[in-house]
Amino acid sequence: MVDFGDHVDDATFSQILEMDEDSHDFSMPLVSNFFEQADETFEQMDAAVESKDLSELSKLGHFLKGSSATLGFTKIKDNCQIIQQYGSNLNVDGSAEPDEDVCLRRIKDALAAVKVDKAELEKKMKKFFELEK
Amino acid sequence: MPPDNDPAAQAGNNSSDFVRKLYKMLEDPSYNSVVRWSAEGDSFVVLENEKFTKTILPKHFKHSNFASFVRQLNKYDFHKVRHNEESGDTPYGRDAWEFRHPEFRADRKDNLDNIRRKAPAPRKPAQAEDAFPASQQIVVLSESLAATQHQIQALQEQYFELAQTNKVLVNEVVSLQKMVRAQSQVSSELITHLNNIEDRRRNSRHSAHSSHSSHSGPSYHAANLGLLPDGADEPAAELRRAREILNGVSPDSQADRELERLSVAYHQNGSPSDSASSSIMFPQQQQQQQQQQQQQSSGPMSLVHDPLNDPRHMVYPVGQTTGIDPFHSDHIHNIPYSRPLSNPNVMAESSQISPPSKDQVGSIWGGKKPQILLVEDDKTCARIGSKFLSNVDCVVDTARNGLEAVDKLNHDSERFDLIFMDIIMPQLDGVSATAMIRMVAPRIPIIAMTSNIRQEDIQTYFQFGMNDVLAKPFTRDGMVRILKKHLSYMLKDPQSQGLTSDDANQAVGAPGPGPPAAQGYANAPSGMTIATMASGAQVKFEQTPIQSPATTASWHSPGQMQQTSPNLDSGGYMSAQIGSGPGGMVLTPGGSQRPQYTNQVASHVGTPTLNRMPDGMVGLDDRPEKRQRLYGPSQGQGAYVQ
Repeated sequence: MVDFGDHVDDATFSQILEMDEDSHDFSMPLVSNFFEQADETFEQMDAAVESKDLSELSKLGHFLKGSSATLGFTKIKDNCQIIQQYGSNLNVDGSAEPDEDVCLRRIKDALAAVKVDKAELEKKMKKFFELEK
Repeated sequence: MPPDNDPAAQAGNNSSDFVRKLYKMLEDPSYNSVVRWSAEGDSFVVLENEKFTKTILPKHFKHSNFASFVRQLNKYDFHKVRHNEESGDTPYGRDAWEFRHPEFRADRKDNLDNIRRKAPAPRKPAQAEDAFPASQQIVVLSESLAATQHQIQALQEQYFELAQTNKVLVNEVVSLQKMVRAQSQVSSELITHLNNIEDRRRNSRHSAHSSHSSHSGPSYHAANLGLLPDGADEPAAELRRAREILNGVSPDSQADRELERLSVAYHQNGSPSDSASSSIMFPQQQQQQQQQQQQQSSGPMSLVHDPLNDPRHMVYPVGQTTGIDPFHSDHIHNIPYSRPLSNPNVMAESSQISPPSKDQVGSIWGGKKPQILLVEDDKTCARIGSKFLSNVDCVVDTARNGLEAVDKLNHDSERFDLIFMDIIMPQLDGVSATAMIRMVAPRIPIIAMTSNIRQEDIQTYFQFGMNDVLAKPFTRDGMVRILKKHLSYMLKDPQSQGLTSDDANQAVGAPGPGPPAAQGYANAPSGMTIATMASGAQVKFEQTPIQSPATTASWHSPGQMQQTSPNLDSGGYMSAQIGSGPGGMVLTPGGSQRPQYTNQVASHVGTPTLNRMPDGMVGLDDRPEKRQRLYGPSQGQGAYVQ
């Protein structure tokens, strides 16, 4: 079994795997769909950063947070949370961050990080499903 | 025939007597500042109520009762002219009374005979009301309810203010009394002192003639020394008078005792003031002494009882079913429910240790598989949720947003047994969708799926007709738990499926709190297990497997409160269904349906709601501990945006 490290919450992800009936007929397409979805969302996020649209970034962060959390993809979820928070002019601890430039900068950082996370995880997942096949 | 003294009968015999008197009274220009014709001459105004009652009424109507004057006016069909006090549009001042009768005019003295006493007409406002459309009645009712609530609140505030003021005044008076007592003490000391000086003075002056003067007092000297009445005797008489005055004032009047009682009542902290004062009523004498002691030591113990901050003083004078907005933040924030994050580890563990295999859970349902609607905009979540649900043998349909969900319910309101509803969605959010669904499907359990588990948010979900909360990210076990709780009537064997009596108890409060449970008891066959008995609301449906809300008229889902939903501006979308659909049953307030509405309100106020609160959070327990981290309270989750 591939070690996902802190990328994945095993308890959550194993629940998904339990749903598989024949090999990974459920989880594999689900995961690959998620990565597609993540890529699409990243593109939209890039565009929103370009246009400095914080509320759109918050919405997108929330969106991807939901699916990554349900899959147990912890690292991605955490960075999405950060994007969502700063998109709402809030620091991670919930205090207000009125400076939009600060918010945007933090979002850029989190977006860069989440892209890396996603790439790493995708590699691990591919390997995982290869091995399990 | 005996002389008829009844004023009403008199008026009846001589129909215009009262009116003539009235007209005559208004002709007198000297009354202008008190009562006069209006500028237009088509009404008259009583400007100074008190003066009018005391001076003018007795002269013209041989009584001084303003109320009966107004009654007379009403009998002759005069009407009080109402001015909009809100807008300050009161041309004659706030306390003025303006009356009008279409025939009663300053320039039509000849017309007075046309003003006759009304025939006592039977009241039929009730029938007139019935002509209203039902929905309008609700609007009227809820408006008047809101108005009453405001009034009560205003009165409460006023009452507290008065009570506060009264307390201050009583304390003030008591301290003044103490001061007076001290003063009189000082005075009597001074008098004694002056007496002594006086005595010594006299002794020194008259020691020669009266050696025993010192113990016979100044009066002795006054009588003895007739020689100097203006000089030496006068101060002695003053001193005597002063002493008499001081002694004449009795400090133990009834008023003082009452005052002391009040003051003690105010100072008795820790027990509700009403019980405190009532306990003081009885043993007056004994209490007096205690009070003295308490007053002397009242400094430290006067943590003054503040009725405004004491929820016990929030008196609801019209009973629990009316007069209160159960959703007012005061009440909502006072609902004592604890956050259910106390034992997430236990939950997580149990879900880890025994992942139920498919065949174990595959057949938990009795006859029919539950039809579940999963409303979720996120593809991944929807797929996982659907998978979890179909894995426990549910038939799942999905909707990608609130509008789609409403559409599906609109099409067939009885198709689904339960709805899982995401909150934040495009097109139409979950809360608004719930509000709209409630109009056609008042009883279907709707479960909020959200990562936003702040107390206020959860309150909002319940308020808008949702029955429970499943925390996101949801787990399979969390979903199963919700299903078992809300669809226990569909389970093959509720007990063997691990639905403990605890769970069943919780379930009572869930979909239809209060009255439906009682109904369920009545319907339950005698052989029922305790667990199913307890989930009375569900028991009902075993006997009505079609689950048509229309046939279960006694069902009071909280969802009915959706009539107050601000999101219903788009309600027209559903409105075509209201008349004929099962929802129409509930929304029609006429006839036997109306009391149920109030019942249902009661169920919000009463304890079932309280039970429901912790219950609703159960789903949150299911999340493995790890996933709590980001949402955990330690990170100040309150500020997380959804």
